[in-house]
Order: sequence, then structure tokens, then C-alpha cells
Amino acid sequence: MKKKILSLLLVCTMAASMAACGGNDNGGKVDPEVKKAAADFENGKFKETKHIVVEIYDRGNDGGSDPENNMYTDYIKKGMLEDHNVDVTFKKVPRWTEVEEINNLLAANTAPDVCVTYSYPTIQTYANMGGVIDLAPYVETYKSDLPNLWNWLGDTNINWDKDPKTGTLWCVEAKLAVSNRVITFVRQDWLDKLGMKAPTTKDEFEKMLVAFKDNTDTLLGADASRMIPYSVSYDVGWRAATLIESFLDPKMSDKEYYINGFDDRKLTENGTKEGVRLLNKWYNMGLMWNDFAQYGSGDTTEDDMMKAGFVGAFTHNWDYPYRNGDDSINANLQRNVGKDAKFVAIDPFEDKNGTHTKFVSGPIDRKVFFPSTNKEPLASLLYLDWISAPEHIQYLQIGDEGVTHDVTADGAIQVKTATGNAIMNSGMNIDYTITVNGLKLTSEELTNKSRALNYPGIPAEDVMNSHKIANTDLRIGKNVNVGAIAAEEGVGDTLSQLRDTVYDKAVVASVADFDKVWDAELKNYLSSGGQAIIDERTEKWKEFFGDSDTLK
Amino acid sequence: MAAEKKEEKVKKVVVPKQKVDFKTYMRRYWQLYFLLSLPLVYLVVFKYVPMAYVQIAFKKYMIGKNIWTMPWAGDHGFQYFIEAFKKPAFLKALRNTLLLNALDLVLGFPMPIIFALILNELPFKGFKKCVQTIAYMPHFLSWVIIGSLSLQLFAKDSGMVNMLVTSLGGKPIPFLTENAPWVFTYVGWGIWQSFGWNSIVYLAAIAGISPDLYEAAAMDGAGRFQKMWHITLPSLKPTIVVLLIMNLGYIMGGGMERPMALGNRLVSDYSEVIATYVYNAGIKGSQFSLTTAVGLFQSVVGIILILSANFISRKLGERGIW
Repeated sequence: MKKKILSLLLVCTMAASMAACGGNDNGGKVDPEVKKAAADFENGKFKETKHIVVEIYDRGNDGGSDPENNMYTDYIKKGMLEDHNVDVTFKKVPRWTEVEEINNLLAANTAPDVCVTYSYPTIQTYANMGGVIDLAPYVETYKSDLPNLWNWLGDTNINWDKDPKTGTLWCVEAKLAVSNRVITFVRQDWLDKLGMKAPTTKDEFEKMLVAFKDNTDTLLGADASRMIPYSVSYDVGWRAATLIESFLDPKMSDKEYYINGFDDRKLTENGTKEGVRLLNKWYNMGLMWNDFAQYGSGDTTEDDMMKAGFVGAFTHNWDYPYRNGDDSINANLQRNVGKDAKFVAIDPFEDKNGTHTKFVSGPIDRKVFFPSTNKEPLASLLYLDWISAPEHIQYLQIGDEGVTHDVTADGAIQVKTATGNAIMNSGMNIDYTITVNGLKLTSEELTNKSRALNYPGIPAEDVMNSHKIANTDLRIGKNVNVGAIAAEEGVGDTLSQLRDTVYDKAVVASVADFDKVWDAELKNYLSSGGQAIIDERTEKWKEFFGDSDTLK
Repeated sequence: MAAEKKEEKVKKVVVPKQKVDFKTYMRRYWQLYFLLSLPLVYLVVFKYVPMAYVQIAFKKYMIGKNIWTMPWAGDHGFQYFIEAFKKPAFLKALRNTLLLNALDLVLGFPMPIIFALILNELPFKGFKKCVQTIAYMPHFLSWVIIGSLSLQLFAKDSGMVNMLVTSLGGKPIPFLTENAPWVFTYVGWGIWQSFGWNSIVYLAAIAGISPDLYEAAAMDGAGRFQKMWHITLPSLKPTIVVLLIMNLGYIMGGGMERPMALGNRLVSDYSEVIATYVYNAGIKGSQFSLTTAVGLFQSVVGIILILSANFISRKLGERGIW
């Protein structure tokens, strides 16, 4: 009897659960014309308050402000309500697992109305499942209501991803205000102690690393065993980017660069292997961090070693040692090691022409898209327009005078360390200014004047030196728009992981085994989807550009 | 066997007398049913409702649609199963799952039994309790913590063990960076984490063995090992069989925390298991249909394994789990 009741119950619940999953069908296209006619929208303002939810990265900083509720969110909320009668709420998403998190939210139909991600394949995948709004008709229909968005992003960034055949547009691309990417840093005080000059070639760089290793007792004393002459993390393709790029042909054709360019860490570009071979040599000479492959994304072990003063040189984002005010790497170094201890930028990796070519991306950054659960695409676009207004960008980047910045005698903005609600969780509040990356004040003159003062506690000449090196011999990426590449869907993350595996295993292989390991691991990468992408890109290039090797 | 017979007897006597209907039952035992309802709700919400979504494995997942209106996948709905078996990454994950779980079973399953036997021989109660408690502790550590412990102990440069080895003039042991040593590190941590906790069941079973048997054996001149071999172990047999069957069911399963926390890119040829594959390809790569198919395949094989192990053990005259 008991058993019967139990099984009856279970059967009932099974049936009930099946039925419960029945509702909630929200397929079907929204016609923007209908929307416009129906909308109570006049002179840029809604008659009835609209509500939208906006994604915001949560960096989980120690002692940071609440990403959903601080001085800057208040500013945006107030402005949006006054200017457009739109009520904005923020929803935080962990920065380092954003793709997983957004996937979950999208699959559960609870994604924010305005979503932002670095991963275009994620957007493309959901677009194919009918989960993303086509922005093409909206940005055109409401062009006159979105002056700031069009002014700032322009046709280039708004229509960057517009499908050349179907005309669909799944996202708009944020714009890079500066192209600075990755450069190399070295301990100035170590060079001074050893009476060395900053290296300008790979040879000199290697000699310098060897000198660091040979003089550990002088440089580190009791901590000699902790010495790491050159530090690279598991993400070798990023953290040795300029080294790897120096082995690429600076005059490589657009076609070759594009076809092999799915991986933004340049794994499949011609020449990369030789760059990694050099790293492999250094690793086996004991010049690198032995345990690098065991620490994952977001781990602070490596940063802590830099801060403690064990690391001689590293390659990273152009302003990496200056970031985070009091907690910056250089500020920590000064506290832990001494007043003269600091990392400075160098440009030691020459390419075959003797220049220092850096392959940077086009002027695009994060991608903003609206999931199909967004019922207020216009209000959401107005949001993007609002945060793209020059004066709003400026406020979000520098905050209030006296609180987050001071104005110097010549009118430049000097950023200072803030407290409480006014703390920016990301440099220049990049997480709120989702249509811009990099300092962009209301005038270019002001921007240039203030750039060096943007890092509290860091001497202006160090920042400007980094900026200059990061802008030396740039090769800026072009928009090869051939529509969706089917082979790229759903494999992005798998391939990124395999790419890291190729790099990591190749670096730690013995010198004799290097070729064997590299070839075997690369083959694995290619057979897991890499080759299919290269083939499809080759085909598409031919279809759109014929036999031409360059992009007009 | 004896216990079962007794139960049957009781039933035969009781059932005809009390032909009670549902209402009476409820009135009389409603407190018990009320208590039961909580775990039942849990089962329904987390185990049964999600089952409706198993059909995603046979359909083309579309985010905008609900699962009843999604189109069927090709190959009579089996498109994604066929696709999975063509993917080298899945095949590798399948192999690793079987390999790591089999090693866990072979090396890890006897440990708690041996531990329980040893504990049972300890004459000092206080010492025994103390050892027992310490052995249970690792069970309460999450794999993330064990993962960082593992780094602190076994990393090539900064791991304590390797620092000791190098300071004694040896070469660092690649516990975490080469395939074969890593597999044993992985299995070792598993044993370390679970042997104490898993021994509880055996200790309880041992406590239930009648002291008469031991006394009789002692009278016949049996020593410690003979008592262990002829009394303790045979008495544990039913418990061992039941646990073995249940463990066989896990051979296709396993969570993702352990391989995630202990693995790294250098050993990914062996640390990628089905659970991590599903996470990477499904949650991160949004191939929902494919990974649901993989998950379903995993569960079906698990059930087949349990059923056949159960069947065999009954054939061999042991008690199964049903």
C-alpha cells in the first residue's frame, strides 16, 4: 500500500512537471514599425516609465563598492529617469566567469535586457537559437533618437558585425579609445644594480634574464630561491604576446592573417611556433616560473610574486603594474622592497625587419547585445546612447572633483584614490562605460594631458613611456566581415582551452621533445575544430574577396 | 536471509487484519507522512521535474522556444549521440572517466575495509576514537581546498614535498605535471579524502557481529588473523557486496569538482572527464543538446551497470540492493 501511494505520487509529479514546462513560448519576430507606432515615445522621452535591467561585471574586489549600487549607478539611474523616463536596474555578473554566467542566464530566460560580453561566438550561438534581438532595424529606425551612440561608435562599430548577406545585426561593438595592448616590463632597480641597460633585442633580453638568474644572491638575498627572471602565466598566448608576434611576418597579407586568425592568441599564425620555441628554451634554462601552468585564471599567486619582488620581467597589459591605486604592483613593490623598486616598460622583441610590430585588434572591444527576452529594445538603446554621451563618459571615468580626482594647475585631471561609494571597481569605470574602453574625456587635449595622471601614485613619465611603447609599430586589425562562420559556433571555449594546452605543454617540454610536443598538440587542436575554421575562413575569403590578398 | 523471512511472516499476520484505506492511514500516521514530504518535495523538484528536459538530448535546442515545440534532431533524434561518439574530446573524456573511476574502485574500495579491520583490533578505546575522528576529517574538506593543498604540497617549484626532495639533492617529482604521476596523485587524494568516512559503515557492521562467534573461535584456538579471516570478513560480506554494487554504478559518473580542482592543462589528456567535458562544451560552449545527450548516455550506462551487478550478485546467492 505504502509503495503504491509512493509510486502514484511520483507518477503524478512526473506528469505535473511535464505539463509545467509547457508554457512560456516567446518565439516570433518583433516588428519595429509596430513597436514604434505603439510606443508612447515622444521627444526622446517615454510617457510611461519603462524598466530595463543592465548587466554589470562584478570583479569581487576587496573593499570595492557594490557594483549594483554606488555613486555611479545612482548617476546613471537619475540621468536615465530624467532624460528618457527609463528606470534602470543593474544585475551583477562575475567578471572571470562571465561567459558561463551569461549562458546560464540566457538559457533560463532571466538574462538582463542589456548584455555585454567579450565573446562574439556566444552571441552568435544564441542568435542562431533565436535568443537574440536583431538590432539592424532598430538602430536605423531610431537613428535620430540615438545621436550620441552614432556619433561615438559610428557606422564602423555599430555595423561591424552586420551580416553582409542577411543584414542581421546581433550586437554593437564598443569602441577602443586607445589601441594599447600588451607590452613588456622589467625591474628598473635590478637593471641599475647590475649596471645594465634596458634590453632592445631578444638577445639582450635573454642575456638580461641570465644575469638576473646568475645574480640572485645580490638581487634577492635570503629569498634567492624564489627568483623568477621572466614570468608568464598559463595564458602564454597573451602573456608572451609581443614575443610571439615578433616572430610573425610584419608584412603578412590580410588574407593570411585572417585565415589563421580565429585564435586571438595567434596559435595558428605562421611563425608562432618559433616564438614558443624560444620560451621553451628559456624555460629549460631555468629562466621562467616552473609552476605557471598550475595556476588558473583569476589566481593571484603570480601577482603576489611580482608584488613581493621575486619577478624580474613580465609581459602584460600596457598599464598592468600601475593599476589599482594603492594596491598596484608598483606601489606594493615600493612598500615591500624599497623606494627605488619599480617595473618600467621596455620594447625588447624585434621582428625580422628590426621593428617592434604589435598586432592589435581593430577599434572594437566588448559586444553589447539584447536577448530576445528584452521587451524594451528602444529604452535599452537609449541607455546605450545615454552612456555614450561625451559628458556622461567623462563623469563615469573621472567622477567628482575633490572626491575621485583633482584638477591640476594646467587643467589636467589627476585621478586620486577614492573611498566608500565612490570607489571605481574597474579602472576608469570601464564596466559602466560599456561602449568605450580607454580614457576619453570631453576634449582630446584634456585626454592627452590627463592620461599620465590617471594612475594615482605612479610617476607620469612611467605611464607615458608605457603608452609610447604600446603605440610603437602598431598593426591594427581590419574588419573582415564575411558573415557567420559555422565552424566557429560552440567551439570557442573548447578551443581556447586546447590552445592554452598547446602553449603550456610546448613551453614545458624538453628542448629535444619540443617539435614532437608542439606538432602533436597542435594536431589535436586542429582536429578538434581548428582546421574546420581555417578551411571555412579560406572559402569565405575566396567568396567575398576572390584572389585578392589584401582588404580594401 | 533470516531477517527477510521474519519480515514476511509479520506481513502475513498483519496485513489481512488491517485492511485500512488511505484516509485512515493518513489520519493515523500523518506526522510520519508529513516528515516524509520534505525529502519527497526535494526529490520532485530536483530529480523529477528536471527529467522533463531529458528530451533536449533528442531535440535541437532553441533558446526562444519551449522544449515541447523544439524541432527533433536528425537521425531519428539520435543525431547528438552519434555526433558525440565522433568527437575525440568526448571519447577521451569517456576513457578518462572509466580509467580514473576504475582505479578509484580497485585501489580505493578496499581501503576503508582494511582500515576498519585495523581499527577494530585496537585495544585502547581512546586512541581508536582519536584515529577515527582524524580519519573522518578530510571528508569534510571541499575539493577546492584539497586542490590548493595539493599545489602547496606537490607543485614542482614551491611544493613542500618537492622542496624537500630538491634540498636533499633529488630531482623534483612531477606529481602534478606529468600524466602517470598525476593519475596516482589524483587517486591518492581520493583515497585520503574518503577512506575514513567510508569505513563508518564497516565499523557499524563489525559492531553488529555477535561476540559469541569470536569467543567460540578463540576456544578453537583461532588467532587474530584467523578471526579476521573467518569471522569478521565473512560477516562483512553482505555490506561489501551492497557497497560494491553501488560503487559500480558510479564508474561512469563522478562529479566535476575533483578533476577540476586537481587537474591542470599539462595533464588535460587525463584530467578531462565526462563531467568537465559537459561543463565546457555545454555550459561554456552552449552545445546544450550534445551535452544533454552525453549526460543521458552516462546515466543509462550507470543504470545498466548497477542492474547487472545486482543481478549477478543475486545469482551468486548474495543480497542485492533490491
